[in-house]
Amino acid sequence: MKRITLFTAILVTMIMVTISSCGSKRNPGRIYMPDMAYSRAYETYALRDSNIFTSDPADLGHKIFYNNQPVNGTIQRGELFPYTLPNDSIGYKMSAQVLNPLGPWTKADSLEAGRLYNINCAICHGATGVANGPLSAKIGAIANLTLPLYVSMADGTMFHSITYGKNNMGSYASQLDRKQRWMVIKYIRSLQPKAGAATTAASATAVTDSAAAKKTK
Amino acid sequence: MSRYRKIFNPVFTAFLLLVSLSFYQKSYAADGEALFKANCANCHKPDKDYTGPALQGWKGREPSADWIYKWIANPPALIASDPYAKAMFDKYKIQMTPFPQLKKEEIDAIMKYVDDYKPPVAPTSPSGQPGGATDNTLIFGILTMVLALIAFVLLQVNTNLRKLSDEKEGVLRPEPVPFYKNKTYIMAAILVLFSVGGYFTMEGAIGMGRQQNYQPVQPIFYSHKVHAGTNQISCLYCHGGAQDSKQASIPSVNVCMNCHKAISKYEGPDVLEREDGTAVNGTAEIEKLYAYAGWNSTTKAYNPDTNGDGIPDGASPIQWVKVHNLPDHVYFNHSQHIKVGKQQCQTCHGNIQEMPEVYQFTELSMGWCINCHRDTKVDFYNKKDSTGNKFYSIYEKFHNDIKKGKMDSVTVENIGGTECQKCHF
Repeated sequence: MKRITLFTAILVTMIMVTISSCGSKRNPGRIYMPDMAYSRAYETYALRDSNIFTSDPADLGHKIFYNNQPVNGTIQRGELFPYTLPNDSIGYKMSAQVLNPLGPWTKADSLEAGRLYNINCAICHGATGVANGPLSAKIGAIANLTLPLYVSMADGTMFHSITYGKNNMGSYASQLDRKQRWMVIKYIRSLQPKAGAATTAASATAVTDSAAAKKTK
Repeated sequence: MSRYRKIFNPVFTAFLLLVSLSFYQKSYAADGEALFKANCANCHKPDKDYTGPALQGWKGREPSADWIYKWIANPPALIASDPYAKAMFDKYKIQMTPFPQLKKEEIDAIMKYVDDYKPPVAPTSPSGQPGGATDNTLIFGILTMVLALIAFVLLQVNTNLRKLSDEKEGVLRPEPVPFYKNKTYIMAAILVLFSVGGYFTMEGAIGMGRQQNYQPVQPIFYSHKVHAGTNQISCLYCHGGAQDSKQASIPSVNVCMNCHKAISKYEGPDVLEREDGTAVNGTAEIEKLYAYAGWNSTTKAYNPDTNGDGIPDGASPIQWVKVHNLPDHVYFNHSQHIKVGKQQCQTCHGNIQEMPEVYQFTELSMGWCINCHRDTKVDFYNKKDSTGNKFYSIYEKFHNDIKKGKMDSVTVENIGGTECQKCHF
């Protein structure tokens, strides 16, 4: 009798484990110890218990206020100072006087700037800045950065546009920090034709492109 | 017997050698594939002209043997000096991005992948050969069953015949035990039951807590195939945290709106389908995004912020369902793998750019982590030409061992990548 009980127990365990292990791929399946698998501490993106936490300043008295935002005015160590010009027409005009704070840079810096440009900008503006990125046709009205308009545009104005967005372009402040934005601007300068000198093939195309653009205008 | 052994030994060694060689070839080709997909696939296809020329047949076309290295390192210089490069530039009207960071052997691996590339053959009819491997297992299984049945029948026949002959000769034997009471049969049945059941039990027990192939339904049908595949958006455009922090970061809605302010309709070319084959209306999914963003698609502006909380009225974060979950007792840092280790996203996440709905590609088990740490070579600092990661210049012992020829490369395991407290602390 005892033997039969033991045998049945083993069989039942086997069947249960097998059943629990083959769920559909739409559900995450079972785990041994949920409190070890899922963090008890509040992790990035985890939902917070709304009985304890709040992001609404009106609930301040009886709940813990937490809204994922750094305290206003916080500057990360080594970070550039915040850009204070407002997102309006006056700010846009004044931005031309803001200078690129980056000093001379090494080959590694320019490689890094090119990498950032290729990830964030080339998708529309194209790897060479002539507005031929994979998404350029779908979004439309992409700036050809090699046109004289952008060659003569001040660094600060470019920074203003990247920070707040301009026309079809959104704000890139959440994807590039301030230093990275300045780096990208410096890299764009290297894609643009130098005034008067059209020696390399890259600037040669840029010139023909801009000439063509002028004709259509 | 000894004669067989004499033959067996060399044959076995040769077999082992062949197997290991074939694995070596495979990993080499896979390396080229990853590099190709990461660096070249944006503009090149192996067999078709795309933004740039089809790469297959490059050997016959290029003017000199080391032309390809020069070209990849610095296309503008070659366009200026080399007539062949100039002709190609005139034909495709676009200058290739320079890749000075690609080493010679990496370029070789890429070109080898390109040469070996064969376009995937679509099954011509549903009754074709897809899934040949599973078919074979089924056939073997049925064969085994049939053979077992025959053996069983033969045994029964044998017993009966013996019984008949015994009766003829007048030998008296006890009545044979019926097979369901025969202890040998019962024992065999129990053994089979336990080994088959044990196999599935073990599989189930090990698989519990692992989520390989987990593919949750997301609040918006977001196709990585459309975004990262067809439209070639870099992984890091949206998941920029992967290079700077522990988290790969899920993009906030404003990142979606960078493009979707302008793109409000889905116009293909990919057909959107869920896993079960139901069609998805891409434009309706973009409308869902607008609802989350608080964007009015008719006036093309964000809703006004009347309640003063700093976000447009009606906007709310999208609650994406987390696909990959490592247990809380494991520390994993994305930037360490992406920025320092220079791993491709696809190594762990599979070909995301081909997934309409994301699923967990690898099992994310500890054994899987450890295996990779054992095999992966770090970008060890080379004191001679000062290439590689300078951090590793402090590993004196390994530098000496490399100099003496005791080791040729340093793996993650060598620098402590399999120590417990590296990930569990």
